[in-house]
Amino acid sequence: MTVRSRLHRVIGLCFLVPAISGCSDSFLAGKLHYVENEALTKDVKGRSSLVGKPRLQEKVRKALADIFGEDPQRIRVPEAMGGLLNSGGAYLGNYQVQDGVVKHSANEDPVTKQFTRYAGGYGIYRRQCLHCHGVSGAGDGPTAPFLYPYPRDYRKGLFKFTSTPNGARPSKEDLKRTVRNGLNGTSMPAFHSLLSDFEIDQVVDYVIFLSIRGETELALIDEGAISDETDINALSPETAAEIADGVIRRWIADQSKVVNPTIARTESTRESILRGRELFLGKTPEKLECSGCHGLLARGDGKSFVPQDVFNQVVFGGNPSERQQRIDALSPEMKDLWGQKLDDWGNPLRPANLNRGKDTVYKGGRRPIDIYWRIAKGITGAQMPAHYPTIDEKKVWDLVNFVLALPFEPELLGESPHPGGPEVPPGVSGTPPVAAR
Amino acid sequence: MRYWSVVFALAAIFSVGAFVYAPLSGDWWLPNPSGDMHHSVSSFGREIDSLFVIILVITGVVFIGTQVVLVWEAYRFADRVDDAGRPVRQARYFHGSQRLEVIWTIIPAAILVFIALYQMGTWANIKFRSAAPKVQPTAEVTARQFQWIFRYPGPDRKLYTPDDLYTVNDFHFVKDRMTLINLRSSDVIHSFFLPHMRIKQDAVPGMIIPVWFDSDTAGHFELVCAELCGWGHYKMRGNVTVHASDEEFAKWQADLLAEQNRSQLSMATDNQGR
Repeated sequence: MTVRSRLHRVIGLCFLVPAISGCSDSFLAGKLHYVENEALTKDVKGRSSLVGKPRLQEKVRKALADIFGEDPQRIRVPEAMGGLLNSGGAYLGNYQVQDGVVKHSANEDPVTKQFTRYAGGYGIYRRQCLHCHGVSGAGDGPTAPFLYPYPRDYRKGLFKFTSTPNGARPSKEDLKRTVRNGLNGTSMPAFHSLLSDFEIDQVVDYVIFLSIRGETELALIDEGAISDETDINALSPETAAEIADGVIRRWIADQSKVVNPTIARTESTRESILRGRELFLGKTPEKLECSGCHGLLARGDGKSFVPQDVFNQVVFGGNPSERQQRIDALSPEMKDLWGQKLDDWGNPLRPANLNRGKDTVYKGGRRPIDIYWRIAKGITGAQMPAHYPTIDEKKVWDLVNFVLALPFEPELLGESPHPGGPEVPPGVSGTPPVAAR
Repeated sequence: MRYWSVVFALAAIFSVGAFVYAPLSGDWWLPNPSGDMHHSVSSFGREIDSLFVIILVITGVVFIGTQVVLVWEAYRFADRVDDAGRPVRQARYFHGSQRLEVIWTIIPAAILVFIALYQMGTWANIKFRSAAPKVQPTAEVTARQFQWIFRYPGPDRKLYTPDDLYTVNDFHFVKDRMTLINLRSSDVIHSFFLPHMRIKQDAVPGMIIPVWFDSDTAGHFELVCAELCGWGHYKMRGNVTVHASDEEFAKWQADLLAEQNRSQLSMATDNQGR
């Protein structure tokens, strides 16, 4: 009898387990909580924090929950954000309730008066992005420590490869392009074969939502840091709403700042490439000196940055959690230089190696317009500055032509029969002039 | 206890049914073009499928034989006791049988040798570098956590020149044309798997591995990574497009080249919904 009942259980389990585990998306409904910004409760070097201000900490938490929802499954979309999002927020999350009313949200069935819930951006984000970018977009997912470079922390509202001016918020198109095509040379994959355009729209909405939420959180902490813990009016709901509105307004305003070159690309002739070379080497009156960072051979080893071997030793030379000890062991000058060459997220920077031959990587895209954006308006959060209008647009195009030609003609730098000589005659390398494209 | 043999028999019958059905099913077998369940789209695919079927038949025959013996023995001798309540046929220990050992070593060895010899031609055609088609590589494929990066020769038909074309997770080639790619990896071991074409090849860091295949059907297929290469392994999924003609392929290349040479935003916005 015992044997028989055990047999029943085994057979029953064989049917039940696959049925339960295989046929539902219910895992998407599990509990998930935003990760707090550590400046809320901890001393963070170089940042304002709310250490020792428990009442203000609580106010920040409450303000965030009121404005953006308690957790990723109960998202609230501030009304001002609606116009910013690709779908007006319709597919942002499972719930979008504000003041007890569903707004910019799931469609209402005219008969049942029920709102349809969509997994939306939150569901896609949870499947595809969370393991690197983390629950609240802090770039702290479980995979993050194993990646180089680290995944982006959205909470500053800063994204490196944009079409908007240096430091400005990205356009929706920039974020879509990044999700669709990935970032070459990093672990950000291209999602165009995994997600439809519609899904990419949804996940970009969610990234914008997380970014605005994170920026608001930082701004509230900054506001709280200069407020008095005992002041009952500090960080009032009205102040918090104003801060959030300010963040949203900035995103909306930056959407219209997309930079489009005003003149067409200069034809990529030998003359243009050589003019670009002069600009790169700082031999023109503008004294650009790209080579100061990118190196005389454009190998990413300019003297303004720590030497490559020191960088490799610190970043890759052992347990990532012991990186600070390796930095501390550097000479005082080197340590000082190291501290100066961090990006806005505190990660060490390396100028791009533009001369890796056929393996040259352009992280922000290799179209002329992508390179134009990198040179003309720099890289947000990194130390690549904007060069337009410091130099005129034609010169930016000369540099673009040079940067695109260099991997195929390394003799343009250093290895030419006339090193350093500005008048390298056309065709000296034995290669034909780069065809106009 | 003897009715356990019925459970074993049912399990065996189910298994035999499954492996008889598998090659006939578009869902249980490797993917086939829709509407044609016996057909792989590539010439190697058909050879590999026939090898699979041969192995399935051999293992099937052995399986059926062993299951029949197992079920019969279990049914025949279980629970049989004499009047005194002792088993009619008592289990008895013996220290091995050389004859049995020889038989059950020689038979599988012979089967393995047969399969090894039988598949050699196919393997040589698909994997030996000396069999690589003498054609220009269609693309260089670099695997990286977690994507496939493709680099095609541009209009000058040469790789590593300024007009090269680049895509990520998007592979294109032409129907009825033996296609050669050079496979690389920039980090860990990945595996380039075209399930519809039955092509699977590891991408090993530091090596450039030629891989060749064809397709007799134009359309859209799938590329995946078949080696667990890290947490984002499942994201290494790409689209494969087999073009019906060289002209169609050239048109796709021209469009890609135009996109890649884009230098004004007014153009960029045209294509943003793609």
